[in-house]
Amino acid sequence: MVFSFGTRTPPTALTGEVVVSGLGKSYGASRVLSDVNLTMNEGEVVSIIGPSGAGKSTFLRCLNYLETPTEGTIEIGGARVVAGGKRPDKASLDHLRRVTGMVFQSFNLFPHLTVMENITLPQRKVLGASKEEAQEVANKLLKRVGLPDKAEQYPARLSGGQQQRIAIARALALSPKVMLFDEPTSALDPEIGLEVLAVMRDLADEGMTMIVVTHEMHFARDVSDRIMVMGNGGVLEIGPSEQVMSQPQNERTRQFLKAVLDR
Amino acid sequence: MDMLTQWVGWLPNLAPGVLVSLQLTGFSLLFGFPLGLLFAVMAEAKFLPLQWISFLFVEVGRGLPALVLLYLLYFSLPDAGITLTSLTTAIIALSWNAGAYASEYFRAGLAAVPLGQKEAAITSGLRGWTGFRIVILPQALRISTPPLAGLAVLMFQGSSLAFVIAVPELMSKAFQIASITFEYISVYTLTAVIYGSITLVFLGFVRVLERRLGRHLERR
Repeated sequence: MVFSFGTRTPPTALTGEVVVSGLGKSYGASRVLSDVNLTMNEGEVVSIIGPSGAGKSTFLRCLNYLETPTEGTIEIGGARVVAGGKRPDKASLDHLRRVTGMVFQSFNLFPHLTVMENITLPQRKVLGASKEEAQEVANKLLKRVGLPDKAEQYPARLSGGQQQRIAIARALALSPKVMLFDEPTSALDPEIGLEVLAVMRDLADEGMTMIVVTHEMHFARDVSDRIMVMGNGGVLEIGPSEQVMSQPQNERTRQFLKAVLDR
Repeated sequence: MDMLTQWVGWLPNLAPGVLVSLQLTGFSLLFGFPLGLLFAVMAEAKFLPLQWISFLFVEVGRGLPALVLLYLLYFSLPDAGITLTSLTTAIIALSWNAGAYASEYFRAGLAAVPLGQKEAAITSGLRGWTGFRIVILPQALRISTPPLAGLAVLMFQGSSLAFVIAVPELMSKAFQIASITFEYISVYTLTAVIYGSITLVFLGFVRVLERRLGRHLERR
């Protein structure tokens, strides 16, 4: 059954399912991403690990078209975009971005807006929510990320860990079907990073579908259902977290894990 | 005669000139700044002809001395069948000049907003004009404020050039008095004091404005 709620509502029913097939990206002759496939069930958490330059972030950023893939198809939460050929129309891109929430390594909170405005403005502009509705959602989310008293602060007054938790709240405010995390703790010291990881862990427990590019091996092993290892623009291997960590199949994966775990 | 007494006597003659100078500067900035912003945005447009128009406007406005621009418009507009007052002509010339420089300051401000802000706007569903207005522009304007304030001061001082096309602004009033009284040093000292004090008061306001605009960045 197809519902229609105007342009703001996706044309098909939403599910948390992710189906990425044959995703690739080239700049002219140089190929930075080739034939990446990933299928995820609703509520699943996949961590993407691998050395720098492997294409992890590029892959993640292709999923919401911050980068433009040159081949393959992306289906997320009922949105479907085919890469290559002519650029997808605005409606498809809006849909894709509507069902995905993104958390950046550098937080990217809007510095000139208060925490409350950071979380409510997107709701008001994108969902057409009233100020009161948006604030109610924001207050719930602030509680959820453990910062209920920071609503009226400007981001510069907050620590990196707090800023990142606000950034997660901002992304959640639009009720995405899938959350994309691009090295969310890489700009934080290990201790502060824990408070962000704790929020992500809760999110995973609550059934959020998540794709996490990370160097946090404990998080990858303990929280994610599967780990995808990337190298050289492609997928080296993907499998249940425990298995990838303890019995990696690929030689390059073994090398990488050894380097990371022996530190 | 003692200089202060002279000055008090001249002030009633100079005051209307000050008003015209402020009017000329005010209108030049009122039109120049929005034009500058428009041309800064056009300079980044994907549609190439917009970029060319912006380039032409900006490079002519910056390439020609304001004085030359004033003379050119003053003498060529009537030939083209457009008759305007000298004040209006001066406003057009200085708006063009201000707009051309302002566009570069706006461009710098826009370029200084981190790319991550645009990406966060896009992923928060704030794309296109909405994202530009809510996320990018306020940050760019804050960055552009100090150079734009400097430009405003230059335009105020540059408004004295309009004297050459008979705009009755401060400089031309001063010149009139000087040519009657031959008290050149005294008249132009007073003129300098007037230009200088208005500029200093204005810059004081800008200081306060800058602090207000940057308040959200203070850590404590």
